[in-house]
Amino acid sequence: MKKVMMGNHAVSWGVSLARAEVVSAYPITPQTQIVEELSEMCSDGRLDARFIKVESEHSAMAACIGASATGARTFTATSSQGLALMHEVLHWAAGGRLPIVMADINRAMAPGWNIWTDQNDSLSQRDTGWIQLYCETNQEVLDTTVQAFKLAEAVDLPVMLILDAFFLSHTSEPVDVPDQDAVDRFLPPRQARFKLDTQDPHAFGALVRPDAYMEMRWHQHQAMDLARTTLDEIAEEWNGEFGRNWPAVESYRAADAELILVTSGTITSTARHVVDQRRDRGERVGLVKVKMFRPFPTDVLRKVLAGPRRVAVLDRNISPGHGGIFAEEIRSALYDLPLDDRPLLFGYVLGLGGRDVTPAVIDDIIEQTRVGARAEREDLWVGVNP
Amino acid sequence: MPESRETKARDIPAVAVSQTSTRVNKTGSWKYIRPRYRDRVAPCNARCPVGIDVEGYMNLVREGRIWEAEDLLLRENPMPAITGRVCDHPCEEACNRQGFDEPVAIHGVERYLGDLILEQPLPDHFKPWRTERIALVGSGPAGLACAYHLNRLGYGVTVFESDAQAGGMLRQGIPGYRLPRTVLDRQIEWFEAQGIEIRCGEGIGDGVDWESLSEFAAVFLATGAHSSRAAGMVDEEGPGVRPGLEFLRDVNRGQIPILGLRVAVIGGGNTAMDCARTARRLGSEVTVVYRRTRAEMPAIAAEIEEAEREGVTFRFLAAPRAALRENGVLTGIACTPMELGPPDDSGRRRPIPSETEQEFLLELDSVLTAIGETPDLGFLPDPLKPRWGTFEVGPLNAVTGESPDLDTAEGPLSGPTMVFAGGDVAEQPRTVAHALGAGKRAALGIDRALHVARGRAPEDWDPAGFTFGPEGNVSITQYRRDDPIRREDPLNEVVEAEDLNPEHFQKVPRHSDWHLRPDDALQDFSEANRGLLPDQALEEAQRCFNCGVCNGCELCLIYCPDFAISRRADGGFTIDMDYCKGCGICAEECPRGAIVMTQEGV
Repeated sequence: MKKVMMGNHAVSWGVSLARAEVVSAYPITPQTQIVEELSEMCSDGRLDARFIKVESEHSAMAACIGASATGARTFTATSSQGLALMHEVLHWAAGGRLPIVMADINRAMAPGWNIWTDQNDSLSQRDTGWIQLYCETNQEVLDTTVQAFKLAEAVDLPVMLILDAFFLSHTSEPVDVPDQDAVDRFLPPRQARFKLDTQDPHAFGALVRPDAYMEMRWHQHQAMDLARTTLDEIAEEWNGEFGRNWPAVESYRAADAELILVTSGTITSTARHVVDQRRDRGERVGLVKVKMFRPFPTDVLRKVLAGPRRVAVLDRNISPGHGGIFAEEIRSALYDLPLDDRPLLFGYVLGLGGRDVTPAVIDDIIEQTRVGARAEREDLWVGVNP
Repeated sequence: MPESRETKARDIPAVAVSQTSTRVNKTGSWKYIRPRYRDRVAPCNARCPVGIDVEGYMNLVREGRIWEAEDLLLRENPMPAITGRVCDHPCEEACNRQGFDEPVAIHGVERYLGDLILEQPLPDHFKPWRTERIALVGSGPAGLACAYHLNRLGYGVTVFESDAQAGGMLRQGIPGYRLPRTVLDRQIEWFEAQGIEIRCGEGIGDGVDWESLSEFAAVFLATGAHSSRAAGMVDEEGPGVRPGLEFLRDVNRGQIPILGLRVAVIGGGNTAMDCARTARRLGSEVTVVYRRTRAEMPAIAAEIEEAEREGVTFRFLAAPRAALRENGVLTGIACTPMELGPPDDSGRRRPIPSETEQEFLLELDSVLTAIGETPDLGFLPDPLKPRWGTFEVGPLNAVTGESPDLDTAEGPLSGPTMVFAGGDVAEQPRTVAHALGAGKRAALGIDRALHVARGRAPEDWDPAGFTFGPEGNVSITQYRRDDPIRREDPLNEVVEAEDLNPEHFQKVPRHSDWHLRPDDALQDFSEANRGLLPDQALEEAQRCFNCGVCNGCELCLIYCPDFAISRRADGGFTIDMDYCKGCGICAEECPRGAIVMTQEGV
């Protein structure tokens, strides 16, 4: 069934198809429509879930942690400052190995107060132990929402599903809504390995001494490693069932490219358009879309980017004092390649706080990348007034 | 899902979970205060002169346990169909919903249950098991209530009524449009079916000799207040001016007097309102003349409003000075304009003659006086006669004290010696509800005195055990120590609005009674206020906060962070003190203040 829907509602539909059992959330622009729709689904019976109203995002995540610990399939959504307020409990969710799924609508951090998109909110939570998946279209949003539950429950880790404010959250696109029966086959009810059971009470997340703590972290890291390949397996399984593939890293017309653009989020669609135009003119320009940021897909990126070519990484984020965060990570991923295979990498910081990234902007980046001998700085800021 | 991946995932230990159950860690040892479910007094219960467990029956109705609700209501109030209609329901003024949205329409629920009770087949004869018989003098609400409760406590009872029909002021004073005779007749029939003997036409000193009551173990005097006070007008005695109560009595007996077109009613109480509305139904134009202002009127507010709706006009700050007649026929009254001076003993501002305004005349065909009534106790032997017109009684309405051999100041009594009194003959607000409460208190007083006389007084006869609220209400359920639904060790503390947690309540509008349109109401004496529809009554019970009493809402169980609270098979809750840390969240979250925190070891 095809429906025209906003990215926010694509999340709601995905959560409903996944038959989430507990939803707890606190409203924040531009996320609010997700949980509004879910609360209506809960109240009119379309979704058999408990909707818990709370007084802050910290409590929303705390409620999700409690619910997930009892074995329930659990969801929340937030954005920007709300995600930052959750920070402490994000560690609890991941360290407690709870397969919570959360949608984060990428919104710039204040101040200056801003409701438009950039990735600094989610990337600030890089080291909390959450799997991070960045989406390009509303269809990918819906499909990834369902897959996120499967991924989370397969490796007992929480998943953050990320989409751009307004460019996706409030933009309507036709979305194919899969059949509930088919989704039920793809995603059976959760089988929790550990359950918080008031009849058989145990201490969860209690004091762990130095001898065991590090093992816990090692196991958590191993689970992350496992998640890296598991996403692609799940994506393929989905592709077999529904005919749409959303791998951790997508390589688009990049195999023979002399210049590759690396993107995430909605900038990808614009870049895809520019790449097609350039290819029409016979230029060997390609695109690599990074969907999965944690665990970091080092193995695939080394494969698709290696070679004597130029790579432009487009970062809608900034790690102040260093540079674009995707560029940093990719640069370090490629460092181990033999010198001949190491591409020349340019990191561009652009589009912060919702500033538009048009085909013209990407054309400029391609030209700049093509002519540069070597980047003078690691952070090339696009379009700022000096 | 490929098998290999699943196996691999399962190989990785997940979280820090204790190997042993945390039950070994008795966190309850940390606490220094502990929660306890303890019933407190809902404000409606505290303010009910009848001593009804309003909260209790509201809860039963809410749960759909209608039969049990009727039973609980009948334990304390013998005539809910009547009080549901004529009581001024102070319970609703006290209702904690008042400050939240609107009070629960308690009277509507009471009336609904009362009507259900009277619609059922009459109850069986209630065979007394005690040897003593009790005499009740007067078949008004006080006498009938006392007889009813004594009957249920095992005594044979005989009610003496001087009038040809039972009911006292319910029949003689209250007009049919407020209390239909069908309801009253059925209620009397209902009492008689249970074995309450009512001897009509047998007044004391009027067929029955006071001395002959000696055959009864005790006597309850409830003859009411039927003598009207004079309005104090010059030439008051004479054609065209008559006591309002007498007028009402005539109309209620079907003797319709001729009032003429222009009628004044003097007074601002309920009798005045009854006279005014009755006269309207007889076709007269009615003016109520009152010395003070509307704010000081003692009548039930709803009665004043209905009188206004029915076209009664009010002349405030006017004191009738003289009745004016020509050729022996009333032509009107002369009134002195008044103004309000400083407050008097009743706390109301005293009316004093205006210095600026001139006396005025009202042209009238009839005047009905309704400024108060006094008891007529001429039939009593002198030592028993109250000095100031009404009895001063003890907490359980004893006149002679609870000991049968007690002498009065005037010397030893002849005739019956264990004498109790209540209703309008005793000092109290003169309402049906207060009369019913007095009858119940006297029944307990008589039962207790007879136990003492038998030398078999239970040891714990402290009235504190069955008295609740600041006004000394008594509960039969608490008095009968073997009653299975008796509240266990309740706290005699009225629940205030600030004891509640309104966050857990939703605003729901109150249902209003359905009234006949004034034009229709004035056509005859059919009931003007038709009450609530059954569904509305049930919805009103849903609005009850159940102040101070656990109604099983489970919020404590949900909020307890230690899962120390569990539900018992009987519907109540148990707190596992081994794990209750005494955090107090249950007491804080309890919407109705039914959990109290107490200090450890106290």
